[in-house]
Amino acid sequence: MSPTLEASGIHKYFGGVKAVQGVSLTLGGGRIVGLIGPNGSGKSTLLNVLAGVEKPTKGTVTVDGRRVDRWPAHRMVGLGIAKTHQIPKPFLAMTGRENVAVAMMYGRRREAEPAAALEESLRILALVGLEGRADTPASNLSVQQRKRLEFARALATGASLLLLDEIFAGLSPEELRDAISLFTRVQKELGFGALVVEHVMQAVMTLSDHVVVIEEGRKIAEGSPKEVVENPAVIEAYLGTEATDAAP
Amino acid sequence: MLRLDGIHAGYDGTQVLRDVTLTAEEGATTVLIGPNGAGKSTTLKVVNGLVRPTRGHVVFRGDDITRMPAHARPDKGIAACPEGRRLFPLLTTEGNLRLGAYTKRARSSADETLAYVYELFPRLRERARVKAGRLSGGEQQMVGIGRALMSKPSILVLDEPSLGLAPKLVSEIFVKIRKLREAGLTVLMVEQNAYAALRIADFGYVMQNGHVVKSGPPAELLDLEDLRKTYFAIP
Amino acid sequence: MKLPKLPVYGPSLWGLGGSLLLLGGVAPWIPVFPLIILVNLLIFAALAYSLNLITGLTGYVNFGHVVFMAVGAYSLGYSVETLRWHPLGGVALGALTALVVSLGIGAVTLRFRGVYFAIASLVTPLAGLNIVLVLPALDDGQGIVLNPAFEPLSWFYTIWIIIAAEVGLTYWITHGRLGYGIRAIKSDEDAAKSLGVNAPHLKLFLFALSGLFAGAAGGVYAWTTSGVFPYAAFDLTFSLLMLAMIVIGGMGTLLGPMIGAVIVNLLSRFFLAIFIGTQFIIIGLVVIVIALFIPEGIVGTLRKYVPELRRILE
Repeated sequence: MSPTLEASGIHKYFGGVKAVQGVSLTLGGGRIVGLIGPNGSGKSTLLNVLAGVEKPTKGTVTVDGRRVDRWPAHRMVGLGIAKTHQIPKPFLAMTGRENVAVAMMYGRRREAEPAAALEESLRILALVGLEGRADTPASNLSVQQRKRLEFARALATGASLLLLDEIFAGLSPEELRDAISLFTRVQKELGFGALVVEHVMQAVMTLSDHVVVIEEGRKIAEGSPKEVVENPAVIEAYLGTEATDAAP
Repeated sequence: MLRLDGIHAGYDGTQVLRDVTLTAEEGATTVLIGPNGAGKSTTLKVVNGLVRPTRGHVVFRGDDITRMPAHARPDKGIAACPEGRRLFPLLTTEGNLRLGAYTKRARSSADETLAYVYELFPRLRERARVKAGRLSGGEQQMVGIGRALMSKPSILVLDEPSLGLAPKLVSEIFVKIRKLREAGLTVLMVEQNAYAALRIADFGYVMQNGHVVKSGPPAELLDLEDLRKTYFAIP
Repeated sequence: MKLPKLPVYGPSLWGLGGSLLLLGGVAPWIPVFPLIILVNLLIFAALAYSLNLITGLTGYVNFGHVVFMAVGAYSLGYSVETLRWHPLGGVALGALTALVVSLGIGAVTLRFRGVYFAIASLVTPLAGLNIVLVLPALDDGQGIVLNPAFEPLSWFYTIWIIIAAEVGLTYWITHGRLGYGIRAIKSDEDAAKSLGVNAPHLKLFLFALSGLFAGAAGGVYAWTTSGVFPYAAFDLTFSLLMLAMIVIGGMGTLLGPMIGAVIVNLLSRFFLAIFIGTQFIIIGLVVIVIALFIPEGIVGTLRKYVPELRRILE
């Protein structure tokens, strides 16, 4: 049921800035793929291209063999691919329940009855621990709660492939632990695949089945979490050139 | 010269810094390294006054400047070169540099300081009339540092000067930063590129998760295995 | 056999619908002069409801709404004068032509957001005016003078049908699934798209509907004033008056456009009688006051601050 997304030779240029230069990767099948790289390496841009928010300058994106690189974001949702935003974007005037209900009505499920959607929303909110805030306007939610709401909404679209943009950022050590276990629990229950773009190494390393490392828009390594952090190119990207000279 | 004592700070309900304590000694180059999201930039923002700490103190030359507004700090002698430089793209190189001598104190000796900056970065003299938006990444970084120097600071605060620069340029810039130290300038620098930074540092702090986890002279911090573990959160 | 449950409609709909039905029932007995005033009021209410469908619901401020009205007016003028149609046919043609024009304009302008859309929309009446001025089929901007029969009751029932349709449609849209999609777009268009809301389609749909009804109302307007003249038809002031109506009444609400139309119409008539031109100053002042103190308009503000009214007023 989970779609296979294949990105091939993706280039994305903004004027003279080459944000992504020839990156290929494959997502799907309930796998969690981590995407890491130093600041400004092009991770978010790549995620936006996969989500349909940006069109690639060059390269193709296919889902189960079908070319979707020119598809807008809302059409990608229909294929079961949904993204979250780095800075959560809740519908501030609506309650938590209503926010999730929008996702149910316009996501893959296309729930026609608002009443039914509002009812079902409670179940999804409970999954992320926000059932107590179901009828609070989103404007009254804390940053952490908004992040959870963002996650709940993406889930509610019925997506089987999630593109998560720095969902673990800005959490205290305790909050991070909770967030990681929440993610694991929900993923086990719903079985979605995900691309996790992150700076927070704990999260990526713990959750990923596979990790891709990007630097200056290019893929410099990929493999299991362990393989990746022992890769000299990756170490160099993060710690500097001299680091590899000093390596044993 | 500059001391941060037990700083707690954050944005919008998210706490980023937890009990950060560090000192930048006069005349020394102090670096702050660590993985992304560790709070390095936030620490600098506290120093520059862009973020108000919820707890703790910022002491500069004996004065408590914790509550001092950001715009008053350059006059005190704290000059910043922010992440990504933030130059004015439509102004020329010289225009950007001269703008750095905004405060009264600096304005009187602007020409003199400008000469010094051009001596430090000869490339900028050549590109003096070029609009800053057309400069290369390395040149822009030079202008960023030069602009900060124009305010005749006592301490130069640099946020990720290596960002977006090719390795060769990084070495070049860092050599110049080292030169500043020889002129007696105090430098506080945040860098993700740990090795390049430690090479020119007198003292270093390693941050992780909003907290200082290790500190000491560069030799002590240059443990690859240790740094690897910190950066990649390997337990 | 179980009877199907009757759908529950809101009190506002009942109230508005009931009032309209009542009016429709007593219309034949209303004296001519008040009837004409009533027709004029209803035309403006119809225009307000049409603008409400796009600006009220999505927040995309359409300064060019008068174009649809003008297209409707010209369609009626042309069809009655040249094609010798019955005015009702003219009104229908007005609706249809305005629909086509709105699809054309919307396909281009709705790509822009916020201020840029507003500015683009400002250009359309100017463009429309200049096009009409050089069209030979429309006498190169001489205007069209009609000699229809004086039939206030026909005018009344035509505009009555238009308003009833608008009210019903507004209710239906805001209460169903579409209502959520629209609110999502208004709140955060990008976030809405990332959840599967086809924002371009939805915006165009509303824009086209707004054009359709404004065209119909414009046709009726030309019918009642027996003529269409280019500078008057494309007058931006109409757009501003319509915006004033929905701002005062409450953007995006069901009752707002009607309340706004009544207030603006009353103020217009009152101050027009005192000194021509003052009505605009007064209406402008009212809009400023509303924008500063109660930006949600009358209905919106009442809903916000008086919880008991929330279930009744919409």
